[in-house]
Parts: sequence; structure tokens; C-alpha cells
Amino acid sequence: MLTLGHRSFADTDRLVMAIVNRTRDSFYDRGATYAEDAALERVRVVVAEGADLVDIGGVKAGPGESVDVAEELRRTVPFVARVRAEHPDLVISVDTWRAEVGSEVCAAGADVLNDAWGGFDPALAEAAAEHGAALVCTHTNGATPRTPPHRPSYDDVVADAVRATVALAERAVALGVPRESVLIDPAHDFDKNTWHSLELTRRLGEMVATGWPVLVSLSHKDFVGETLDRPLEERLVGTLAATAVSAWQGARVFRVHDVAATRQTLDMVSSILGERPPARVVRGLA
Amino acid sequence: MISAAALVPHPPLLLRELGGAQDPVADLRAACLATVRAVVAGAERVAVVGGADTARRWDPTAEVDVRRFGAARPRPAGASPPPSPPPSPPLSLPLSLGVGVRLLAEAGWGGPVVAHSLAWDAEGAALEALAVELAAAPGRTAVVVLGDGSARRGERAPGYLDERAFPFDDAVAKALADGEAAEIAALDAGLARELMVTGATAFRFLGVLGRQQERRPEAALTFRDDPFGVSYLAATWLF
Repeated sequence: MLTLGHRSFADTDRLVMAIVNRTRDSFYDRGATYAEDAALERVRVVVAEGADLVDIGGVKAGPGESVDVAEELRRTVPFVARVRAEHPDLVISVDTWRAEVGSEVCAAGADVLNDAWGGFDPALAEAAAEHGAALVCTHTNGATPRTPPHRPSYDDVVADAVRATVALAERAVALGVPRESVLIDPAHDFDKNTWHSLELTRRLGEMVATGWPVLVSLSHKDFVGETLDRPLEERLVGTLAATAVSAWQGARVFRVHDVAATRQTLDMVSSILGERPPARVVRGLA
Repeated sequence: MISAAALVPHPPLLLRELGGAQDPVADLRAACLATVRAVVAGAERVAVVGGADTARRWDPTAEVDVRRFGAARPRPAGASPPPSPPPSPPLSLPLSLGVGVRLLAEAGWGGPVVAHSLAWDAEGAALEALAVELAAAPGRTAVVVLGDGSARRGERAPGYLDERAFPFDDAVAKALADGEAAEIAALDAGLARELMVTGATAFRFLGVLGRQQERRPEAALTFRDDPFGVSYLAATWLF
């Protein structure tokens, strides 16, 4: 059982988390939904396409325009309130590493804090606990927010991701975040090279085996691009392949740009696993 | 005595779990249930009769082994690779009878049931003998006969297109609608084989059964369609 806000999900549910960036410079959408109305329209579209939750971000993950706390609050808090008003049942996540922002967005209606920088601000988990929000615990190898990897190395990247995310998850529960509302994320590409991200994908089952629900964020990332030698706009096929492999191994939440394609991929995997009936079957049975 | 007889088709899709989340044969299913209900009303027992590889009497509490056709078996958590399917139960019903007993249950019939299969190529004497046997049982017996028309009714049909399928099925449908037992009992079994009419023996049995009754049936064709190139016919004969 996974509880996000007032929604509960079965262990066989595979959830699509749609990325909604309120940034001018995020790597894939490049500011397409920076304007509040454009972002609201994006939310409507992804909900119609079958997104189970949205992940709202006010700061680009990589280096770029400086966004201080005040600016991040300005980008996220009123927007969360508008999304909450328009979509009462939608699970709203906010991608932030700052506790001040986490507190304010939860007060505005957010259900999940996606701590994409792996506990950089230890008070963020406390904010989640205080507001009864869910928390995503991410492996970033201690990286400083918005810094790209430089020669990261690991004895065993999967073991490191398991150890770090489980420690963050246990700490969150100790602080009062409900156990059924804590997820772990190996964070592909975050302080990892492509070899590391491929290995995390190959051995994702080891993260699943911890028992914590696993979120993966694969969408159009550099490890896909480098693996297939494809530019940013040609990484959907590789993303969906990695999505299917992760779903097969038990990942539960998929943070993506392409909701409809991901939904189809996950439905296909669920049916191969025998957990979802095919939509309509007549071949050979008439 | 025989109080009534129904004819219904038996595609695997009538086993609801095989169709997927949507029901591809919802209208057929509804018609079959209504047809079965109409003939079992007032009966004291029901005989289910359909084609199979061999002729025999079956335990009607057995079921068809749906796994032979599919349906999802979720992979147990952590099992990799997925386990092999368990072996079939030793005495599962043939498809025709399995669909028949399933329809009976879904129609709410809770009374006694007997189930008999007829060989696909059964001789007339075998049909006569079974009809006599069913009629000899005490009380009012309703008979549910399972059989499909031609599977060669289109370019996407299981047996591709054979134009002769249309007049053949038309003749069967008309005889069913009119209660013409003798006509159905005498249908061309050779042509039926060429047209992939898997219900030919079942049709002939219904004709033989009808011919043996004193009264001509009050007949109605309750369904007719071929959404997948297979002719589905349903009918009630009330004696």
C-alpha cells in the first residue's frame, strides 16, 4: 500500500508522475510551461492523458539561472494552490530541496515532497512530517544541488543507492512521515555516469527488494542519450525501454515528460506480468 | 418429457474472463442468458448437449479448463522466471459443455443438470438415442444445445470467406425461427464440415429432438450475428 495525500494505491498500481516545470530553462521543455497559464494547461493535458500525479518544479535540476527561496516560492506556492483548486483529487508533488519551500507548498495543497537532492536540506523531511506529506528519498551521493557529476566513482553504485535511500527513508519515518508515504529513488544521472545509471536500471530489483516503493526518473536523461547516441528530442524510445525494464523489476512511480506513451508502456508491462487484463481480447476466441 | 430446448453458441469469449477488461461479446452474452432463462423456466432439470471429440456423459459440476485458452495468472512476487502453469484438472469439460454450464449458472439455474457430449461426426442413430434418453427422464427436462454456425463468413473470419456460408446459415436460421425440426435434422453434414460449422452435429441433434416431440415447437430466433466472421445463432423452442 502506498499513500500519497488522500489517495491510496495498490502494490500492483504503476503510477505516472507528470513533470510540470515552472522554470525558464529546464533541460527538456526549455521553459514551455514557465508561465502559470501554460503550466495549468499542461496539468489539464497530463491529467487527461492518465497521469496519477504531477511533479511541480520551480528550479532547474542542472546549473542555470539562479532561483532563490523567494523566487522558488513565487513560482510554486500560488501555482500549487491553483492546481489543487482545479483538481481536488490529483496527487500533487513538488520537486524541491528547500524546507522553507516544502512547508509552504504543503500548506498550499501539495501531497508529496520530491527531495530530488537527497536530503541536502535535512529539514525538508521534517516539513513533510509536519504536514503529513509523502517524501521521495533520493540517492545523489551527497552532491550539492544543481551540480553535474564530475568523475563520480563507487565501489558498488547499487549498494550505495540502497544504503543511502533506505537511511533517508528510515530517518523520515523516525521524524514522523508515515511509513506508507515514503518512496526511494536511485536518481539516474544524479552524480552518476551513464555506466552507473545503466547498472542501476539493470539491478533495480535490488532497490525494490528493500520493500520501499521505488520511484524512477528516466525521462530523456543523458544516460539514455549517450547509450543510444541520440539528442534530447530523440530519447523517447530509449526512455520507454528503460521504463519497461524498471516496471518489470517492480518500480512503482515513473516521473516522466511523456504521459500517454508511458501509460501505454506501463499498461503493457502490467498485462505481461498478469496484473492487468488486456483491454479487449477476441483473437482466436470467436 | 422435454419441455423446451435452447440453442446457443459456445465461443470461448462467452467465458467472461477471456475477453479482457471490456466485454467483446456483451450483446451475445445478454442474448444467450435470456435464451437460457426462457427455456429453463418451469423445468425440473436441464440437459446440456454439445459437440466434443468423444461422446460421453460428463460430471456437470466439472468446469471447462479456461487456462487452456488463456486468462492471466499473475506472476507471484519475486518469482523469476514465472512458474509453469499447474497441470489441467483431470476431468475438465469440453468447451461446448463448459460454456453451457457456465451460462446456466449465470442464468441463475440451481437445479439438477446432466451433461452429454456428442462426437463431432455423430451418426443419426446416436442423436436419436440421446434424444430418447433425455425425454425418458421423469419430469420436465429443458435441453440447452451448444453449437456454432459457419466460421467462414468473411476475409477476417477464422476460415476466411466462403460465399456458401451465407445461404447455409440463412437456412439454419430460418429453420430455427420456424421450428422446422426435420429440416435441421437433415442438414448437409458434408457441406457443414467444409464451411467450418462446428455446431452441425448439435444442430442436427436439436432437429432430431424436435422431430421426436408430439407438438411442433413454439419457436423464436433470439440472436443472430457474426461479429468475428463466425455465425452465432440463438433460438428457443418451447414444446
